[in-house]
Amino acid sequence: MRDSPLFKIVWAHLTGRKRQTLVSILGVMFGITVFIFQAGMITGLQNYFVEKTIQSTPHIQISNETTASEKPVAAKAYPENRDIWFSIRNQKDRLEEDKIKDGLQIASLLENHPEVYGVSPSLTSQAIFKLGVLDVSAIVHGVDILRENRLFNLEKDIVQGSVIRLETVNNGLILGSGLAEKLGANLNDNLNIVSPNGVSLPMKVVGILSTGLRDLDDQRAYSSLRNAQKLMKAQSSHITDISIKLRNIDKAPELADEFENRFGYRAVDWKEKNAAVFSVFKIQNIVTYLVILSILLVSGFGIFNILTMMIYEKMTDIAILKAIGYTDKDIRRIFLSEAMLIGLAGGVLGLITGLVISIIAASIPFRIEGFVSSERLNINFNPLFYTIAFIFGLLTTAIAGLLPARKAAKVDPLHIIRNQ
Amino acid sequence: MPEKTILEARHLDKYFYDPVKFHVLKDINLRVEEGEFVSIVGSSGSGKSTLLYTLSSLDTDYEGEVIIDQTALRSLSNDDLARLRNRSIGFIFQSHYLLADFTAIENILLPGLKLGKRSKPDLLRAALEKMDLLGIRDQADKAVNTLSGGQQQRVAIARALINDPKIIFCDEPTGNLDSGNARIVFDLLKDLAHNYKQTILMVTHDESYQTDRQIRLHDGRVVD
Repeated sequence: MRDSPLFKIVWAHLTGRKRQTLVSILGVMFGITVFIFQAGMITGLQNYFVEKTIQSTPHIQISNETTASEKPVAAKAYPENRDIWFSIRNQKDRLEEDKIKDGLQIASLLENHPEVYGVSPSLTSQAIFKLGVLDVSAIVHGVDILRENRLFNLEKDIVQGSVIRLETVNNGLILGSGLAEKLGANLNDNLNIVSPNGVSLPMKVVGILSTGLRDLDDQRAYSSLRNAQKLMKAQSSHITDISIKLRNIDKAPELADEFENRFGYRAVDWKEKNAAVFSVFKIQNIVTYLVILSILLVSGFGIFNILTMMIYEKMTDIAILKAIGYTDKDIRRIFLSEAMLIGLAGGVLGLITGLVISIIAASIPFRIEGFVSSERLNINFNPLFYTIAFIFGLLTTAIAGLLPARKAAKVDPLHIIRNQ
Repeated sequence: MPEKTILEARHLDKYFYDPVKFHVLKDINLRVEEGEFVSIVGSSGSGKSTLLYTLSSLDTDYEGEVIIDQTALRSLSNDDLARLRNRSIGFIFQSHYLLADFTAIENILLPGLKLGKRSKPDLLRAALEKMDLLGIRDQADKAVNTLSGGQQQRVAIARALINDPKIIFCDEPTGNLDSGNARIVFDLLKDLAHNYKQTILMVTHDESYQTDRQIRLHDGRVVD
């Protein structure tokens, strides 16, 4: 290859215009670096969120969704008739409890389902947390802590205290880290919880939990199921939610449908629950690809320009090469190779700098507060991005080189030589 | 030794269409035999350069037949013509048309490397031999733009010779040189023809150059 006269010509052209060659290599390199870093950062964050979500939230959650007002009974009597108007003011619903009837039985049925890894029934309610003069509204999540811990590995996320003290300490309470911060609560502090029913319970902070998912950490406190039921003045069979973890997470949507049909309660799988977040992810990914496309488009134009200028400058060289026996194909190959070499060099450099920047960024402590909170950037080093970026780079440079190369191949040596 | 026809033109006609239709070459019939040194002379505008480019495969827009080494050019594709030029034709133009990015010897090697018949060392030896013959051996590794006009033209001649072509076409090979260098280059061509049996067809406006045979062109017609 190195001895081939074509390669020598290519090399002479590229090294003859060092600065321009360098600039176009840098253009390609920049596009690929940015893409690798951006894609790694964004998908890294996305993966972190998904991982945390799968770990810390139910794959399927069964709950009794209390729907808002139904249509008036009178309206039901004349469903299609639009000539009749109803006016019912200040309609009040029958009290509908959000409890799941026979919830504990449903839970034990689910426990025996072959696809289910574990089940944790819970009672969830809004409540006011009072500490000193502070009032904070949050959610009390009454659980059987051993079952909950088996499902969500709470022990791993505990930053202070311990999970088991929820069992051993009467009136124990585990706060989410964000909630604890809002309340200014520390381990072993005493505080009061007031339910919507007006029941007030003194509680003791036995643990502080940080899952990394902001929604949970800022809003949720765990108590024993018993205490939550006390707070709601409910019986010991009263539960409002059943959290389910599956053996195979991909089956969540179909199993959610199955459970919904079987038990008559709303079953939401994790993808559906986070649909809004996933649609944001989708847009982020589109933007990432648009960024690399636009940067590579610009460097593609640069390469196109340089080659076009090169062809005008080397017109007589092309003519004489053809006169001494080089074919159109040889000439086309020269200029295409120049474009591809720029793409190759820019691509390799871009991969390296992208990787290096990603490694550096991943190692810098960096506090993120978004959907998730983390102590550093979670960067995705998926080789797929590196492959895509490299292929993109080569493809754009090849396309950018194609037109000038074809133009060079069409140079008529007679025309050039006779007109000199 | 029986004479062998290297180049033949049969009923060659050519027209220019721009700006108006113009009959440049009119029914040209000619032959060049192996080892002959032939010049085409004529006044400016007589069509002599046009004839040369038509005969040498660079200009393909003509009527009639051109045959080089028993091959009718009309039957060849563009790529085949390029391969024919590479293998069997050498060119020397008024300008040297050397590639400025390369040294003298690299320029000479270009057609040889394209042909790819000889190994690199063989090719290098051949190139140095040709340079020796043309008296420019000591210039081999110099960049071509550091050479004098006469030396550059001699490098161009060496490039034309490297694949031992059947025929060399020259278009005013001495046109850009001073009279001293012009004489040297012409004598070299003559030497190649007489001592190395190199077939040469040369276009010149200078009728004082003594070649084996002169073809005189007037208004697109061979006279004499």
